[in-house]
Amino acid sequence: MLDILIAQVDRLQDAASAESVTRDSVILGEQYYFFTVVLMWLIHAGFMSYETGIARRKNALATAMKNILTIAVVTPTFYYFGWWIYNCNQPGLPIGPNSSDFTGVACQSGIPWSDAFGPNLTNNINLVFFLAFLLFSWTTASIMSGAIIERARLTAYLLLACLLGSVVWILDAAWGWSAGGWLTLRFGFHDSIASGVVHGVAGAFTLGVLFNLGPRIGKYTREGLARQFRPHNLHMTLLGLMLIFTGFYAFYAACLVISSTAFPGWSNIYLSPTTLGSIAMIITMGFAGGFTGGYFASRGDPFWTVSGGLAGVISVSAGADVYAPTLGYLLAMASAAIAVYAGNWIEIKMRVDDCVGAVAVHGVMGFLGMLWVGVFAAGYPTGLNNVDSSLGGQLMGMATFLPLGFLTGWFASWVMKKLNILRVPPQVELMGLDVAEYEPDLYLPEVVSPGETIIEPDGTPVHAETVLLNARNEVRL
Amino acid sequence: MPLLIDSAPDCITHNEGAKPADDSLDFILQANYEDCAGFGTFMPGSTYGDEGSGAESLYMIVTWLGIVVMVVVLVAWVLYENRRLIEAATLRRRPGLGGPPPQPGGVGGESP
Repeated sequence: MLDILIAQVDRLQDAASAESVTRDSVILGEQYYFFTVVLMWLIHAGFMSYETGIARRKNALATAMKNILTIAVVTPTFYYFGWWIYNCNQPGLPIGPNSSDFTGVACQSGIPWSDAFGPNLTNNINLVFFLAFLLFSWTTASIMSGAIIERARLTAYLLLACLLGSVVWILDAAWGWSAGGWLTLRFGFHDSIASGVVHGVAGAFTLGVLFNLGPRIGKYTREGLARQFRPHNLHMTLLGLMLIFTGFYAFYAACLVISSTAFPGWSNIYLSPTTLGSIAMIITMGFAGGFTGGYFASRGDPFWTVSGGLAGVISVSAGADVYAPTLGYLLAMASAAIAVYAGNWIEIKMRVDDCVGAVAVHGVMGFLGMLWVGVFAAGYPTGLNNVDSSLGGQLMGMATFLPLGFLTGWFASWVMKKLNILRVPPQVELMGLDVAEYEPDLYLPEVVSPGETIIEPDGTPVHAETVLLNARNEVRL
Repeated sequence: MPLLIDSAPDCITHNEGAKPADDSLDFILQANYEDCAGFGTFMPGSTYGDEGSGAESLYMIVTWLGIVVMVVVLVAWVLYENRRLIEAATLRRRPGLGGPPPQPGGVGGESP
């Protein structure tokens, strides 16, 4: 009798212990994602500093404000429909043959009136997981922001940020960045740390917007040769990039799934095994290779050297869960060099005025990253159906994401252009957005500017006044 | 009793004198919350067993109010910025402002 009682007590203790361990695991996961969210704020501090430094002094405040206000609009839009898009559209659009899946439990928890969005004792992790995705959304929208500075309206950017951050990227994430996404289930599409899902799509979207937005006044000569507008504070730009890099470690970490009570404890977004150490290793090797490739390809240009680091990391993100360190290093180095050439080609040959090289660094590298997985990391079972990653699967993802990103960006900006709400008036652009929208100078009055200098296509520095006067006549003010 | 609005879902009980939380050893769920899993203001209030009831319709109203406000804010923002930009551009078109635009830090200014 006593033996039975002792056994019963043991069983109860075991059950209590198992429950305790599970709860600890949940709370550990909750804390893990929470701190990735905190650290990912650095990405946005970085984007702000980076873009403000690139801007001319007369546009510095407007540039910074744009980055901050990204948070004001992408947060509610992502809450009200972005999370629902991710949870409900993984099988495809609701018109597809699997539309019955849209009534699933995961889908229901994504609607904004779900009780999973408040204090819920049976679902601790939903909201911190939501917040991690929200920070991804801010990042995606911010990728576009730097490319369109100094002539795009604040509100045009904010509307485009809502579209990119709360609809376009999260739709492609549902399709190709979830264990149940149709690209993953059917084609084994593999983009573990979002090379294409975040960066590639944002870059394609940005290119579509830039086609309608046009270059800054004075950027190109009558002959179509590109002038260079000097950043007003390159140190601020480099600091911003370093902050982005720091935040990227949290971004990478947030892309993993943690379950401390089940072997192996970590998995990628597709629920395939990986480790925190391996992805941290690849991001670090990616920076190393990227800085090196950027330095040599740009012959030591500080902007492209540091941007090369970012390009390198983006190019190895898709396979960061499985790459060997050397492969990550070499791919990042080669990719960063390609980013430099792509950036120059876009500026000089395509005559697209991308102020921060976002299309090259994020767009081209994002798509290249997806391609590299098909070439160098085929054969890894991916997603709930365990379909092997393959070149064909990667090409399928690329063929889906390119039009999704580009066409939505192009069409939305085309509509805004027709409504005359895309670009600031030329008078405002010439005087500077700060004067028109904020009035105060970013700097104290006693900090006298040496004057804006523009580099002519032949490398000659000239005072901006000359160029701006000519440009003013060209736009018939 | 709540002063104005009882926004707590029905799964939360309001029994005065119910067993208080005993946190001498560990955190223990208070008795008034024992049946309630989700308990945000105006929320449906899911329960561990049966489906929750609570202030579901009010929560839908609050949520849709938020969506409407968000859309109104975005539209108002576009109109407000448009007005400011037109004002600034009109100011620059005034006679006597033909020179290079004034730049922060004292560069540019009135035409001679």
